[in-house]
Amino acid sequence: MKLLRNVILIIIGIYILTLGLVYVDVYDSRPIISLFKNMQSDSSLEVVDFSVDKKDSSKTKPKPNKNRNPYYGDLHVHTKYSFDAYIFGVTASPDDAYRYAKGEGVNHPLGYEMKLREPLDFYSVTDHGFYMGMIQAYADTSKDISQNDFAEPFHNLNRLDNLTVESAGERSNIFSSVLGATIIKPYPDWHPKLLKAYFTRNTQGALRSFDYDIHKSAWADVARSANEHNDPGHFTTFIGYEYTTSTDIEGGNLHRNVIFNSSKASIRPWTRIDSINPEDLWTWQDKLREKGVDTISIPHNSNGSNGQMFEMETFKGNALNTEYAKKRMRNEPLVEITQVKGTSDTHPLLSPDDEWADFEIMDVRVGSRPPTYSKPSGSYVREAYLNGLTLEFTRQGNPYKFGLIGSTDTHVVAASLDESNYWSKVGLLDGDPENRGSVPLKEENVERLKEYMRAFNQPISTVSLEQGEYANTGFTQWGASGLAAVWAEENTRESIFNAFRRKETFATTGTRIAVRFFGGYDLSSIDLNSESIVSEAYQKGVTMGSDLLNDENKNPEFLVWAQRDKNGAPLQRIQIIKGWIDANSGRPEEKVFDVACSDGLQPDSLTNRCPDNGARVNINDCSITSNVGSSELKTIWKDPEFVPADKTFYYVRVLENPTCRWSTWDAIKAGFKPREGLHETIQERAWSSPIWYIPEQSDVEVIPLGGTIQLRNID
Amino acid sequence: MKYKISIFFIIGLTLYLIDIGFNSSDKKEIYISDQEIISLVNAWKSQVGRNPNDDEITRIINNLVEEEILYREALKIGLDKEDRIIKRRLAQKISFLKQESIPTSPSNEDLINYYNENHDKYFIDSSYTFSHYFFSSENNSKKRSSKAYKDLLKNISINSDPFFLGKNFVDISQRKIKSEFGKDFALNFKDVEFDKWIGPIESPFGHHIIYVTNYTEGYIPDITNVLKQVEVDFLQSQRDVAIENYLNQIRSEYKIYINPNLQI
Repeated sequence: MKLLRNVILIIIGIYILTLGLVYVDVYDSRPIISLFKNMQSDSSLEVVDFSVDKKDSSKTKPKPNKNRNPYYGDLHVHTKYSFDAYIFGVTASPDDAYRYAKGEGVNHPLGYEMKLREPLDFYSVTDHGFYMGMIQAYADTSKDISQNDFAEPFHNLNRLDNLTVESAGERSNIFSSVLGATIIKPYPDWHPKLLKAYFTRNTQGALRSFDYDIHKSAWADVARSANEHNDPGHFTTFIGYEYTTSTDIEGGNLHRNVIFNSSKASIRPWTRIDSINPEDLWTWQDKLREKGVDTISIPHNSNGSNGQMFEMETFKGNALNTEYAKKRMRNEPLVEITQVKGTSDTHPLLSPDDEWADFEIMDVRVGSRPPTYSKPSGSYVREAYLNGLTLEFTRQGNPYKFGLIGSTDTHVVAASLDESNYWSKVGLLDGDPENRGSVPLKEENVERLKEYMRAFNQPISTVSLEQGEYANTGFTQWGASGLAAVWAEENTRESIFNAFRRKETFATTGTRIAVRFFGGYDLSSIDLNSESIVSEAYQKGVTMGSDLLNDENKNPEFLVWAQRDKNGAPLQRIQIIKGWIDANSGRPEEKVFDVACSDGLQPDSLTNRCPDNGARVNINDCSITSNVGSSELKTIWKDPEFVPADKTFYYVRVLENPTCRWSTWDAIKAGFKPREGLHETIQERAWSSPIWYIPEQSDVEVIPLGGTIQLRNID
Repeated sequence: MKYKISIFFIIGLTLYLIDIGFNSSDKKEIYISDQEIISLVNAWKSQVGRNPNDDEITRIINNLVEEEILYREALKIGLDKEDRIIKRRLAQKISFLKQESIPTSPSNEDLINYYNENHDKYFIDSSYTFSHYFFSSENNSKKRSSKAYKDLLKNISINSDPFFLGKNFVDISQRKIKSEFGKDFALNFKDVEFDKWIGPIESPFGHHIIYVTNYTEGYIPDITNVLKQVEVDFLQSQRDVAIENYLNQIRSEYKIYINPNLQI
């Protein structure tokens, strides 16, 4: 008896001691208990092969093309497994998403059919990693976890009779309570689950609101679906998820999509519950790579990051160094420049001399309520390229040498790419013109919207304009964009993923413009009318995403060739955007050159602009001027202001003739005039990844302006 | 005799009591559950970041009560009767209930039957191998291509333009031809003649003269190759069938009158 009592006491004693030590370890940043560190297993590094037992497709697989083909896809798609998509009324699955991408119709939560004009070549379902599958389980009253009090508001939320815009208020409220972490309740400190979470490095296991089995099975279903729909040679899928993190204080959006290269993936997504610091995500990706699983993470909505996405310091505020730059580039070769929530090329305040800078600007922080301004500096791609050069100039390495893609971020499984048939992305909240603010609200809806805003203590979100009272909830800044495009030998996972790694990618605003871009010193020897343009260009130069090394201070030449989208408007012009650092002053500069104009026109050598080609849009019916614009444009361009010592980048922007914006289409379809204050037309466009010109290594000694030499880690 | 009559009396009384019990909602009584209040207070809290004070709680509960009162009064005067939104929601709700009873693992026989009836769905597209001369619409393509066609027949060398996506296409599917050259262009491949220059054919990019060398006919694959897809499609179709059956079964009980002279 006494023995038993002693044993029990000892066990309790050891338990308390362990808890104590764990407590010290967790709350003290110095790793004093290396013993425990060795005993910890890492649940996020367990690799599973999710491949499905499927017969090989009997279709003929097209032969690879060594000159590479353009493939179009979307790497940013949410389904019912995302905590918010489910709240937005979405019950469609990853299978539905892939079917949509292959050309089938799927239903919007409001009941209408969504269908692509042309199927896509690749697609990746990227549900939010954190809480993946959980909200759905809360709502399903047959699941145990739904019996907890925190799950109550979700009960049968998506039963069909609740799928109406009237339930939108209830829905946005639940959304912010998840983001505000109010339903993330941990177990008390003494609880065994806490110890288990610690020893398996699986923080989420310590949360009452979390069920690991449900989470894993949602993730396994995402992976299964991707593998099942992958059809080498015809249609490619990627296992993926969104790492939805943000800075602690300002809520600066640091969201990224993680894309896996094969049928293998970790047993669970590594999420913001593991760490909100993206540098830790890269560490995890590095470790996964050692185990043979390659991933890339792709930041998005830098525009809504309040300057945090392309910071000039680390997450914790230290100086950037070459180590950081290498690690970031190893894991983040690409950035999503455009999507439904705006375009992040540049901002009119950052590029005042770029007449096309004011394009689909979304100027608020992602998910902010009430809407809160996102400061432009640090939030846009072009400035990040320049800052990258500056960091290189001060010998800190260039962490911003990324390629470009677009994607949609749709939350209704279906990419919304067509201005004339637009459903935005958050289901019940913006699935009809009234709610997204393109046509005036009906009287009863004005009251309803005001009611919600009062109920949830938000500022009045309607505005009175000439044609009536409009919803003013920010959806007017969203748009029908965008696509990821790659140059790859064939439509397979391996080939397309390699293109991501090479950064041989371009982004479009949903249109299927295609663009080739090469840089070299002997490209003018290529005959632009010969059949061998592309194979010669690959031999004589480098393509988008690459470095062009200095060659005896010769002036580089660039070959650009763009083809229109056969369903879109004809091309208006090709531009090359140049950014550089003055080697003497360290001053960043940028300039936009029109290099090819439609209809046989020539750019003016003084202004570097094409003359007006006369393309106009009739706002009454959205028809466009016929017989102007080009089906293809090609040219060889030499930088007239080239300075061999300046670090420089060049990327291409291709512009279509103007067409109606979705808000104009919405309005005229409903018999209204376009809402005042919005752009009536847009110019759909494509951006290539840059080519970086690398000058000769200079022997200039750089004296650090702040921090310590150690931090900078001079190479 | 007396005994039997009293049974009827007792049954009558019971029915009366049950009736009272069931119709208690007719009385003007409103029960607000604790849960309802707590979930509203929680929602409030998560939004505002603190607990509501007494006044605010009163307001929340008052709103709830008023909503319930208005709802019942609306029912009483029949406002639910002709409301399109309410009708649609109820219709959706019953369709949803009718879909619930579908088995999740269909039998092999079901799948084979479904495949036999729908095998067109699994058709694998025909594919072509061809080469072409391209004349860009940027450079007078109509005229140049007709001249080139005549020259080709006379074996005179011709001057064409490079096509953005290349010159030769091997085993390219009908669907891919459509997506890369446009619908009208793809139509020319139907019953196309082989080993012969054909054209000029117009596309959104200009004019083409094509030379087709090979063709693989489209076919329907064996069920074992598409089993998974058949299963998914079968289950989806069952859900549609369930509603249809239900509707057919009920529809006959309704007489439907529509004004045949209505002008729209």
